[in-house]
Parts: sequence; structure tokens; C-alpha cells
Amino acid sequence: MLALISSPAVFSLIMIIFVVGAIGSLFFHQSDRWANGWSSVFALLGTFLGIIFSLSTFMQGKELFFSFSQTSFTFLQFSLHIDMLAVFFLFAISLIGFFCSLYGFGYVKHYYGKYDIGALGFLYNILLGSLFLVVTASNALFFLIAWEMMSLASYFLVVYDRHDENNVKAGSLYLVMTYVGTAFIITFFLLAYKYTGSFQFDVIKLQSDLIPVMVQNLMFLCAMIGFGTKAGIIPFHIWLPAAHPAAPSHVSAMMSGVMIKTGIYMMIRLFLDVLAPVPLWWGETILIVGMVSSLLGVLYALTEHDIKRLLAYHSIENIGIILLGVGSAVTFYALDMKSLALLGLMAGLFHTINHAIFKSLLFLGAGSIIDQVHTKNMEEYGGLIRYMPQTALFFLIGSMAISALPPFNGFFSEWLTFQSLFQGIAALSFSLQWIFMLAAGSLAFTGGLALTCFVKAFAGIFLARPRSVEVTHAKESVLSMRIAMGGLAFLAVLFGLFAGSVTKMISTIGQNLALFEKVEPFVSVSSTQTLELTGGFALVSAPALFLFFGVIGLMIFFLVRFTVNRKQRITLGNTWDCGTPLNARMEITTTGFARSIILVFKNVLKPSIQQAVEYHDATSRYMPKSHSVTMGVGDIYLKYFYLPLQKFIHESSLRSRIIQGGNINVYISYIFVALIITLFVVL
Amino acid sequence: MTSLIFLQFLVDVMFLTLVLLHLTKKNFIAVIAFGVQSLMLAMLFFVSFLETGNRYILLMVFFTFAIKVVLAPLFFIRLIRKYQLYFSVNTYLSMPATLGIIAGLTFMAHSARFVPLTQIVPEHQMLLSLALSLIFIALFLIINRKEAISQILSVLALENSIVVFIIFAGLEQSPNLQIGILFNIFVWIVIATVFVSMIYKHFWSHDVTVMKNLTD
Repeated sequence: MLALISSPAVFSLIMIIFVVGAIGSLFFHQSDRWANGWSSVFALLGTFLGIIFSLSTFMQGKELFFSFSQTSFTFLQFSLHIDMLAVFFLFAISLIGFFCSLYGFGYVKHYYGKYDIGALGFLYNILLGSLFLVVTASNALFFLIAWEMMSLASYFLVVYDRHDENNVKAGSLYLVMTYVGTAFIITFFLLAYKYTGSFQFDVIKLQSDLIPVMVQNLMFLCAMIGFGTKAGIIPFHIWLPAAHPAAPSHVSAMMSGVMIKTGIYMMIRLFLDVLAPVPLWWGETILIVGMVSSLLGVLYALTEHDIKRLLAYHSIENIGIILLGVGSAVTFYALDMKSLALLGLMAGLFHTINHAIFKSLLFLGAGSIIDQVHTKNMEEYGGLIRYMPQTALFFLIGSMAISALPPFNGFFSEWLTFQSLFQGIAALSFSLQWIFMLAAGSLAFTGGLALTCFVKAFAGIFLARPRSVEVTHAKESVLSMRIAMGGLAFLAVLFGLFAGSVTKMISTIGQNLALFEKVEPFVSVSSTQTLELTGGFALVSAPALFLFFGVIGLMIFFLVRFTVNRKQRITLGNTWDCGTPLNARMEITTTGFARSIILVFKNVLKPSIQQAVEYHDATSRYMPKSHSVTMGVGDIYLKYFYLPLQKFIHESSLRSRIIQGGNINVYISYIFVALIITLFVVL
Repeated sequence: MTSLIFLQFLVDVMFLTLVLLHLTKKNFIAVIAFGVQSLMLAMLFFVSFLETGNRYILLMVFFTFAIKVVLAPLFFIRLIRKYQLYFSVNTYLSMPATLGIIAGLTFMAHSARFVPLTQIVPEHQMLLSLALSLIFIALFLIINRKEAISQILSVLALENSIVVFIIFAGLEQSPNLQIGILFNIFVWIVIATVFVSMIYKHFWSHDVTVMKNLTD
């Protein structure tokens, strides 16, 4: 049975399901209900089969090589290679896709009558299908086609809510950055082809030693920029905080949860599988990029009061954390310390799946809130726990998981990342020790700041009093949306509780790479789910942590319920506030909460503070009526990198207009001159 | 040997018609020159047919003759008569400068630098050099002419030149493909003449330099 499921036929069937889902949605586009139902059912079916397929293939432990069809083109082959690494990413895509599709079924209803639901269903199914192909394609040109399909589908989903001009702008920015990234990816594959004579990944892998070292280094930079742009590493991240919030929330969850991970997938595939052996500086570079991205990502998240932008910045942070794992893996691999390299890879992969779970949960939670309150501005939330208690619980679980609090899943992957970095500090030379030390420091710092950020977010959204009328009208989301969020919240707990088993499975995936064949993992898992590093350097037990926090939680609950609150009575009296009733204006805002931390990092964040005072009498100015403070953060990447670059390109374009006079004769003379020069050079 | 001299004669006539296309101020003469040039091409194909006996080549002779020697000139002559476009507009360069550049391009095509290209088939070296100079001169014709009809004729002359080069270099494609290309050219001629008519109705000129605001 398992062999039947993990066959090329089932994979092809999944693709057919997505295609039928996409085309059928368009077919029913005149009926919103039918289009939504059709696209959701097929997306659910495809992703569910995807989960079964990936789990079955993993359990079978087999690799699949097959082609969809033979083409008459020499270079292009629709060939796929599904190894354990691809299976891992297929599982992540299917899992998140399943819950996002379930959520989307309820969420999309608020677009009824406003936009074409058929188009949304079409694009969503195409996105899912292209994601499947991106992580399984084994021919560079086929991969690029799938990559383009993914990019275009996600672009149209970003601009789906096109009545908002900001969404259209965000889409344009996303498209430009995507194509900049794609240009580097194409350069990478062309260089690979030049020296290996093939676009097939397995051939490139076999003949990678024919590529000169300098060219390999150039290819590494191209891959880092190309795939790093999709992953959202700093400084190529600027599209991410703009595009993710613009898309419908279940699409944001897909984009942030899994789409950006395709960049990570390709980095792992290329640096730890295809291009071997790798020089040490590649690993160091990835570590530094990871450090910068994680730290700056969380700092920018802290400054945000737009809930979806905040989550988008946390995606950058988490990509940084994943890169810390991958970077340490590449570094250890370059130093031929394969057991530690496997540990780093496991940390990176574990955080990849964990981030996919809790980030999509948070985006779905944010979508539910925005659906009810009709704004993304957290300053206008407050007190939502009374109106949306289940969403609050799911968001809290997501917040705790992303803040790496035990016993949720985020804690265990960050623990593994820490262990990987600590091993680097313990085992490597002085200069490398410093890089690993800084990386561990930045990870610790990131964890603390992420916790602060989610204290701010959760408190600002759900606690205290409502800060707008819309909050008081909010209701709990529809059942399908709650089931989707609940499912992901359950997974965040489950992946924490069974972190040992998950780690074991991930080590099997890592060992499937040729590089780690017969390499013993540096971390062992006991039957009681305890993770222990070789040599007893550190250990952690998920069940013990669960038990400990469970007992502590119960103790606190009973203490508060029966001891602290026992004698409390509501007493009426004159209060310190001159008799003014308590209201939302007296609460600390999310901006106010983050202000002190922002000011600590003012040299990095460049905050701008605008104060406006309104007086009762504008001429005398002795009696202020209101005093407002607006805090913003300057975009240093825009100011110091993208704007000067744009200025340079603009000025160069203006200069180059001289040769573009609008005269056909002149253009043909250029062709003529170019032809003559080419002939002189070639002959 | 006789065949080679005859072929040389045909290509020489093509060369002369191309020079005439450069020098003439009258559109009617330009169309006739193009017709003669195409006739030479059709004869080249006919010689090929006599040598090989391939019936498809005979079909190509027929199509080349019908499209390039008869239909295309007829289209252009109708256009000239309809809009009274008997005289062509000026060229960018004066006649002596034009002749100088034609001489330079012919010299370049015959130079040692291009021997690797013209010696693809050693016994056709002279013919290939001449064909290469035809390509260069036809390209220069497109650049030098300001008038739309002349430019269309120049593009067609360039196509003739490339075909001549291909024939002597032994790079001929299958006759089916060449017939397809001829059909393409025919469609292109129809579209181009319609387009030229529209341009004339809108701008009252065929001088491409006055067509500055095509978006209007």
C-alpha cells in the first residue's frame, strides 16, 4: 500500500488535482460560492494527498526519479527527483497548505461580491502546484519554469486586493525584487552549464569538480542573492514586509510559512548537496547573513504597529535563525566535521518546519482579527480576548512558539541551533570561535527581543480595553477558520512534545544526503524523548518540560483562583484620576511599549518622533487640548542602498536615452555596427 | 565552369540592382530593380533545380517568381499609383558618400578578414564574397533610406541577399521550410503595404523622420 502511495502516479495525480482545482475555479468564477468551494476542496484534497505521499515516501525511505514527459528540447527535461530533502519540504508545503486551504474556505467569503473568487482559487491552486514542483524539479530549466509560476501566482495574489493602492505598489516591488533574484539564479545555472554541460542537477553534482574555484565562488554569491531575495535575507528583504501583508491572509501564511522556504531549500540543496566540497568562507558568510537578518528582523518587528508587517519582519528574523543552522552546517562541512554539520542542518530543518507551523498560525490569527476589526493597526485593537477567545488562545500558542518558549516547538529547534553554535565555539579556531560566539549572542538577543515583541503584540491586541468601536463588534471567526488555527496550534504543541521523534526523523532526512551518508548524528534521542548531545554536553527532555510547565501552570491557576482572588471585592471610591472613568486612552499603546527598546537601538533603527500639540486657544498656547506623539522608523536600506541605486539607474537611463532617438534607421545602424564588430571579433 | 560563370553573372546583376536601389530617386525604378533582383534569385533556384532535379526546388522557383517577381512589385506599383508616390524622399548621405560606402563594404566583404566565412565552400569563394557584400549593402540601404517604401524594399533585398549567401554556402534548408518562409514574406508584404497606406493617410508622408508622434 505504501509503495503504491509513494509512486510517481500519485505525485502526478496531486498535480492534476491542483490543475483541475485551478481551471475549475475559473470555470465557476461567476458564482462566488461555487468557485470558493471548488478551489478549496481541490486544494484540500491535493495537500492532503501531499501529506500522505510525503509521509509514505519517508517511511519507505526511497527516492523517486521520473519525468512528466519527454521534450524535443535538448536542455529542458520535465524530470523530478524526490529524495528525503524534497520529501521534507513537500511535507511542510502540504501540511501548511492543507490548513491554509481550510482557513481560506471561510476567510475568502469576505471577498464575495468584491473580487473574482474564481481568479483567487485559480492562483491559489497554481501556487500550491508550483511549490510542489519547485522542491522536486531536477532540471534547472524546469525548476526555473516552476519558480516563475510560483512567483507570478504569488504576485497576482499579492495584488488581489487591488482597490488598495498600497497593495499594487507592494506587488510591483515584489515583482521587481523577484526578477532581480531570478536574474542571479539564471546566472548561477548558466555558469553551472558552462562547466558541466548540463542543466540536470544530478549531472551538475557529479561534475561540480570541473567548475573552477573562482566560478564556484561567483555561483555561491549568485545563489545567495537569488535565493536569499526569495527567502528575505537582509538587505534583499524589502519586498517581504510590503508584499506579505498585502496578500489575503491565508496566502500570506503560505508565503511566509512555506514559499520563502523554497529559497532555503535551494541553498541547502546547492551548498550541501550539489556543489561539494565547499570553501569555509561560504559557511561564514551564511552565518553572518543569518546573524544580521535575525537581529535586524526582530528589531524592525518591534517597531511595527501593523500586525501583518510585524509578522513579516519576524519571518526575516526566523529565516536568519534557520540560516544560523545552515551556516554552521556549511562551516562544519568545510572543516570536514560532518557529525556537527549534520547537527547544524538538523537545527535548520527543524526550525524550517516549526516556523512554517507557528508563522502560518500567527498569520491566520491576524487574518481573523483583521477580518473582524477591519484594520491592521494594532493601536486600534485591545481587549479582543473577550470577543475572540479561541483566536486569542491560538495566537497565544503561536506567540509562545515563535518566542521559543518551552515547551512549544520553537524552543526545541532554537535549542538545537544553540547547541550547534556552542559546538563551534568549543571546537573551532579563534577567529571562527568569534563568529560562532557572535552568532550565539545574536540568537540569544533575538530570542529575548522576539519575546518582548510578542508580549507587545498579544497584550496590545487581546488584553486591556478596546481602543476602537470595531473591536466591540468583533465576533469569533467561522468554524473552518478556527479549526485551521486550532490544528496548527495543536501541531505547535505536538512538535514540541515529540521534539525527540521529530529530531530523529530529521536526522534520517539529513543522512539521506550523500554528504552525510553513514554519519552519526551528534544528538541522540532516548525513548523518553530526551535530546542529548554526544559527550553529554547538553540535554533537554520535552515531556519533562511539559510536566514541569504543566504543574507550574496549574499551581499558578489555583493560586490565583483560590488564594489571590478569594478576598477580592469590587470597591467603589474616589480614584487617583480625579474621578475620570478608566478608558482605553489610559492604556499603554504598543508603540509606547516598544519605545524604550527602540531608543536603545536608535543608531540602527533611526527612529523619528513627531509631536503635535493642539491648544484650546491657539493664540495664547497656555492650555493644551491634546498632545500626540507619532513614532516612525527610517528605512536605512531604502535610504542608503535602494534609493542611491535607483538614482544611479535613473540617471544612467537618462544618459542612455541619447542613443535612443526614435529613428529606425539609427537602430538598424546599431545592428549593422554590432554585426560588423561581432564578425571582426569572431572571425 | 559555364554554370559557375552564369551564376556569377546572376549575382552580379543582383549586386547592380542593389546599387541601383541605392541611387534611384524614383520609387517605380526601385520596384523594378527589386523585381529584377528577385528574378535573378528565382533563376538561381532554377539552376539548382537543373543540377539536382529536385521537384520541390521547382516549386520554390514558382513561388519565388510568383511572390517576389510578380505579386510584390504589383502591390508596390498599386501603392505608388494610388498615393502618387513616384518620387522617393532623400537619403541620409549624398550620392558620392553612398557610393564610397558601398565600395568600402564591398571591399570589406572581399577582405582576408572574412575569408573564414567566404571559404565555407572554397569553389564558391567569389560568389560568397559577393553575397556577403550584398548583405552589407542591403543593410546599409535600410539605414540610408528615409522613405517607408524604400525601407520595405530594402528589407526584401536583404532577405534575397541572405538567401543567395545560404545557397552558395550550402546551408540550404528543406524546400518545405523555404516555401514556408516565402509564404511568410508574402504575408509580411501584404501587411507592410497596408501599414504604409495607413501611415500615409495619417502623416501625409512616407518619410520616417517626420513620424515623431506615432502615439497621436
